[in-house]
Amino acid sequence: MNIDSLNTSRFLRNDFKPRLARCELIAVTPTSISSDLEFRNWILKQPEGETLLRCYQCGRCTSACPIAEIDHSFNPRLFLEKVILADESLAENQLIWTCLTCEQCEVRCPEHVKIPQILILAKVRGLVSGNTPETALDRARSILSQGRTIQVSEPMLKTRDKMGLPSLGNPPVKQLAKALKELGLAEKLENIKSIYGGDGDE
Amino acid sequence: MSKAIEYTYFPGCMIPFRLPHFELTMREVLSRLNIELVADEGHSCCPEPTTFTGVDFEAWLTVGARNIAVSESTGRDTMALCSGCFHTLAMVGHTLQSDSKTRERINKRLKRIGMEATGEVTVKNILHVLHEDVGLDKIRKSIVQPLKDISIAAHYGCHLVRPIEATHMDDAEDPMWMEDLIEVTGAKPVDYPDKMACCGAPISPSDEPKSFVLAADKLRKIRDAGADAIVLVCPTCYTQMEMQQKKAIEHLGPEFSLPVLYLGEMMALAMGMSDLVVNNARRYHRVKLQPLLEKMGVGK
Repeated sequence: MNIDSLNTSRFLRNDFKPRLARCELIAVTPTSISSDLEFRNWILKQPEGETLLRCYQCGRCTSACPIAEIDHSFNPRLFLEKVILADESLAENQLIWTCLTCEQCEVRCPEHVKIPQILILAKVRGLVSGNTPETALDRARSILSQGRTIQVSEPMLKTRDKMGLPSLGNPPVKQLAKALKELGLAEKLENIKSIYGGDGDE
Repeated sequence: MSKAIEYTYFPGCMIPFRLPHFELTMREVLSRLNIELVADEGHSCCPEPTTFTGVDFEAWLTVGARNIAVSESTGRDTMALCSGCFHTLAMVGHTLQSDSKTRERINKRLKRIGMEATGEVTVKNILHVLHEDVGLDKIRKSIVQPLKDISIAAHYGCHLVRPIEATHMDDAEDPMWMEDLIEVTGAKPVDYPDKMACCGAPISPSDEPKSFVLAADKLRKIRDAGADAIVLVCPTCYTQMEMQQKKAIEHLGPEFSLPVLYLGEMMALAMGMSDLVVNNARRYHRVKLQPLLEKMGVGK
């Protein structure tokens, strides 16, 4: 029999929420599951977040992942399971920052679940608890203050000049700040302490 | 010669200030092909897609959309040399076009600064421009110093290629445009296992040892396939596979080294502009290029 003709994906998609949740609850550690659906609902509302609902836990993502290959504790299928079960502990797990965003999982996913995007959203939720590498915070601060990820120095400008490359001016940082104001990112970045260590300054 | 074809050049941060030999060689290569890159001072950091997304995804979309709006105001196609910049602009543009709710939300923020982004601007990477817009036939005519007897492996990197619905590349698992360009220069493209494997750089801020394991594994597979050199497009991949090559390889020992060329360097060599490469080799290459250049017959 041709497996494809069964159209298993549609069957699971229509029916899976209560069923999968019940059977998977037995398979995971119950103490780690929050009863609060807020995290899951937030993910579903974000761009591409609703692709989560297409996941039927086949595990192709994990078998495609180059990080899972060298570190068995990194398991994209399990990460998706946690989000499906509204387990927000994922946002505080440092492992999510070892996702390469290489999208190999997404390429191989039979349901085109936006897995790297869902992990990105989990990272965003982890910011308040400091689950953000210091380098990521530094780059973000630099983008807000300079409009670039790096500090442009005099020698860099001189080198461009010597090579005959045109001046690129300075990015309009005031405009950036105005567009981003309602997000409150600048204030957040002032108060966040990364759990990854480092002194917080470049 | 007819009037040059212009693209809006999206410079980003890494290439213009850390690796300006990328910009230098590619500008000269494109100039030979009658293409001019025009920068717009309104552009900022793209923002970079590997860490800023995970700090504040909405801010990433907003800053990216502002850059798209600047691009749209130029009336030209935009080309980003950097794969990270290209990825961000292509992704944000795709999101603006395909997700009307997000487009409206982001444009409310842009309205405060008197801007609007539709996502309709065409964002290209250098392979779109060289392979699709210029075409292999025209490039072939500009090759004056074919890179005979040289085997080169293409490293695409992830963000140049994926996701395919936003990048509009030829294939997500086995792209071939760079191999075509290698062939046009007279060199022999080398296939190797796991061609689309990541260089490891994106996780360097959180787990440097793991990022080096991936880089070393990749370098070893390329060396075992018999390549004399690697050619690539992305400045982050370059930093990882060239500047950090020695450190990465030490993780898996035994040691070896493999020259890495930026695509613009490879093309400049084949177009007879070897000075551009030779003069900047010591400053921007840690792996010695001399043996490779000698094999190519450059600098004799």
